[in-house]
Amino acid sequence: MRRVLRWMVALLVGALASAATAQTVSPAPDRVAVTIYRAPRRAPDQAIDRAWLQGYALITEQRRVTIPAGRTTLRFEGVAAGILPESAIVTGLPKGVREKNLDADLLSPRSLYAGSFGRPVTIRRTIARRIVEEEAILRSGPDGAAILQTRDGFIAADCAPSQDALVYNRVPPTLAAKLTLSVELDSPAAASVTVTLSYLAWGFDWQANYVATLRPDGQSADLLAWVTLASSDTTSFANAETMVVAGAVKREDSAPNPAWNVPDESLTFRCFAQPIVAAPAMVFAPPPPAPAPAPMEMDVVVTGTRLRRAMVQQEDLGDLKLYRVPDRTTVAALAQKQVALLDRAAVPVSIVYVSTVDSNGDADAPRITLRLRNRTDQGLGVPLPAGPVALFQPRGDTALLIGEGAIADKAVGEEVEAGVAEATQVTIESTNPESGKGWEAYRLTARNANPYPVRFEARFAGEDLPRMARMTETLTRKDGKAVWSVEIPANGSRSFSYRIKDRD
Amino acid sequence: MRMWLATTMLCLPGVATAQSVAPDLVASSAQGDLSVTIYNNNLALIQDTRQLALPRGRSRQEFADVSAQIRPETVTLTAAGAGIVEQNFDYDLLSPETLMNKSVGQSVTLVRTNPATGAETREAARVLANNGGTIVQVGNRIEILDSNAGRVVFPSLPANLRARPTLSVTLDSANAGTRPATLNYLSRGLGWKADYVALFDEKAGKLDVQGWVTLTNTTGTTFNAAKTLLVAGAVGTVDGGNRPRFYGGRGTPGPRGNQPGTEAARREQLGDFYLYPLAERTTIANAQTKQVSFLDVAGAPAAKTYFYRSPWLQKLDEAVSVDTVLRFSSSREGGLGDALPAGTVRVYMRDARGAPQFIGESEIPHTPMGSKLALKTGEAFDVKILPVVEKRERISGERWRTTMRYTLTNARAQGVTVELAQAGLDGWWHDTKITDESQPSTRVDADEAVWQVAIPANGTASVTATFDTRF
Repeated sequence: MRRVLRWMVALLVGALASAATAQTVSPAPDRVAVTIYRAPRRAPDQAIDRAWLQGYALITEQRRVTIPAGRTTLRFEGVAAGILPESAIVTGLPKGVREKNLDADLLSPRSLYAGSFGRPVTIRRTIARRIVEEEAILRSGPDGAAILQTRDGFIAADCAPSQDALVYNRVPPTLAAKLTLSVELDSPAAASVTVTLSYLAWGFDWQANYVATLRPDGQSADLLAWVTLASSDTTSFANAETMVVAGAVKREDSAPNPAWNVPDESLTFRCFAQPIVAAPAMVFAPPPPAPAPAPMEMDVVVTGTRLRRAMVQQEDLGDLKLYRVPDRTTVAALAQKQVALLDRAAVPVSIVYVSTVDSNGDADAPRITLRLRNRTDQGLGVPLPAGPVALFQPRGDTALLIGEGAIADKAVGEEVEAGVAEATQVTIESTNPESGKGWEAYRLTARNANPYPVRFEARFAGEDLPRMARMTETLTRKDGKAVWSVEIPANGSRSFSYRIKDRD
Repeated sequence: MRMWLATTMLCLPGVATAQSVAPDLVASSAQGDLSVTIYNNNLALIQDTRQLALPRGRSRQEFADVSAQIRPETVTLTAAGAGIVEQNFDYDLLSPETLMNKSVGQSVTLVRTNPATGAETREAARVLANNGGTIVQVGNRIEILDSNAGRVVFPSLPANLRARPTLSVTLDSANAGTRPATLNYLSRGLGWKADYVALFDEKAGKLDVQGWVTLTNTTGTTFNAAKTLLVAGAVGTVDGGNRPRFYGGRGTPGPRGNQPGTEAARREQLGDFYLYPLAERTTIANAQTKQVSFLDVAGAPAAKTYFYRSPWLQKLDEAVSVDTVLRFSSSREGGLGDALPAGTVRVYMRDARGAPQFIGESEIPHTPMGSKLALKTGEAFDVKILPVVEKRERISGERWRTTMRYTLTNARAQGVTVELAQAGLDGWWHDTKITDESQPSTRVDADEAVWQVAIPANGTASVTATFDTRF
């Protein structure tokens, strides 16, 4: 029965279409690969905005289709809603593609009305629980809805004591339910082929998330990293080969905000100029419930012990880094997923309290900073994609969060620093004990209220160094900065005095 | 139902004939033989040849199914043996409000339904006024019409209210008969650009490029079986067009190495513009994006290079990635061998399993054949630069000496060369000199000095330079 129905529907659809070319529908991909790219302008410390994912994905689908000889329209259903039609590539067809089309003229209350102009409809009137139907012809456009011609004359629908609804007898043939990508083909013979369809689509994003847990010695940490990926598309990609790409990829345009640019596809019945009506009795309805948050599935894949964790595999893609999720997985609609990226035990790290000093002697409050070298001989030596870093410290059986920072993309060999929190037990005080003609003297005092020694660094702009004199400590140069690096003893303090010449 | 519809038509000939019911299931269109010429800047020239049955003398002809974004002031109509008296574009839309406004002074019928029995009674009424409320006269009673009053039935529709904006032309024909009439007009809402798919094989140094024209129709109208011609250019219009310009010369944001070519492509030209006719008639549906192939080149030579431009006195806290640049040519020898209409080049590379992956995109302007292109596709994860101001001191009243140090790192297993440009050497001042540098630079123009910096595999390189400037 169902099959017969479907066949009839197909027949009807065939009859509705302009009848010139045959149609072949590919309802869903047989195999799909999804490669997710990070939002182009999202900073490393900026969280993924699940309401507006501004990254994108390259979706590569394989579809088995049987095409007849001659002219055919091959329709691909189940593509991502965020598809960029201009990026679609179709390969594997026997004799190429005459043209590709993405049809976005969708069936809606408004387009149904507009497409029924001049056609017969039925008015269904409800008055005093009685339903009366009357035949009519639509005579206005959707902006002037709804004027109808009936047996009696012309009327405006829903402009009388009755409640009126319109009943249409067909769907305008050019309107589709969903965005549909189709290609026009010209095949010399009937063939069964595997077509590869690939396209870019907005509405995806990913990032790395790092969790560093300090060892009790404070000199090393266990480093665990996740790939967090998200999709706001309404299409789910089941059993997909899933990859993410790290590195800056140039894009010329940006993701449209799903809350903007939504065309109004509703239809409003208008009425004559404001008639005087008895005010309806005031009914205090309860306020509408707050909109429910979008259903977001938090799918955290955590498997077994350290050694068995399924880990993404990294490879070079030109100057970018590609990470492949080892098993096929489902990139679900409106969902976020995590897969392990990295798991290293006892990576040598240091905790440094860092303060920046400007040329007026003003110093920032010290920040607790996690520092490590991304090198093989330091237990690491892998590309580190951008993302937030959470630093934990053990406390008995558990570990407590100390702070969160972020790192940019870090290549092998680089020094990695993440400021995770403002210190409370390590402080810096700056005083201006004397000044003279063309110079100021400053004295920095760094204090440590912890019962253990800490490493402290004050950083000065490199070009201030030639103007500094009478320094009581030796500064080192690093990455264009002059650094006073010192160990403050437990419950102790250290000072540094200098003079700086005024700028010319 | 058919019966009464037919009766209605007979009773209301003036209303029903122009807007008759289409009995078929296919959307019918009043369009004739269509030719559509689309420019890059959201503009199209539409030529629509329809068969017009004209009576002798004056007659008014309505043209349905013209573009909903027609520029009515650009309409011209040519029909053999007929002269144009006037052209009208009417956009007084039919709606319940306008219908009531135009019915002031007219008679309408009020149909009232008895809520208890459902019986309908009819009364003749006259609309007296419709100013913020409708006043009707029923017999000797004056009523303010409210929605409880009943259903208002209008005997006819006013002639000049239309369901959609309508173009009409009044013609004066010397004799009666059917003849072709050609309607020409400009419309907004149609545009096109090129999209290129470039598959780069880095090892072989080869690039396969497919070019597609992408045309979009946001007019609100479907153009059926149109002969379509695309013009690679933004024709000058009063309200202006904005066209990306060729990256090159000084002060431009892109990588160095773009240069417009001087070869002519073997394509039809119109004035300064290349023409891209579509091979067959096509239907350009409303809200459709359509792509047609125009270029397919395999194995063009291409190379990847690295580029970084440092603004004047730039110092960074952290090293940043340098740009990855794809270089190729559009010339006949050793290139794509065609002119490239403006659009977006999307670059793909194969991953370890051979599947093409997207690595970046870049816009190009209209590019003549023979051009050199250097397109930024992204930034290199493993090749970084840290520019710092090492020293900056005043050496005399208005002269400064600045030492810059650029530290470059390469985490790749192969050595790379980065083209490093220091920009901003000729801002508001002049006579900038490089007094000392760790390796020779090329002063490519007054504003920029360029170093070719080789960085060994998994290694570091650094360049220092001392600038003598007026600021």
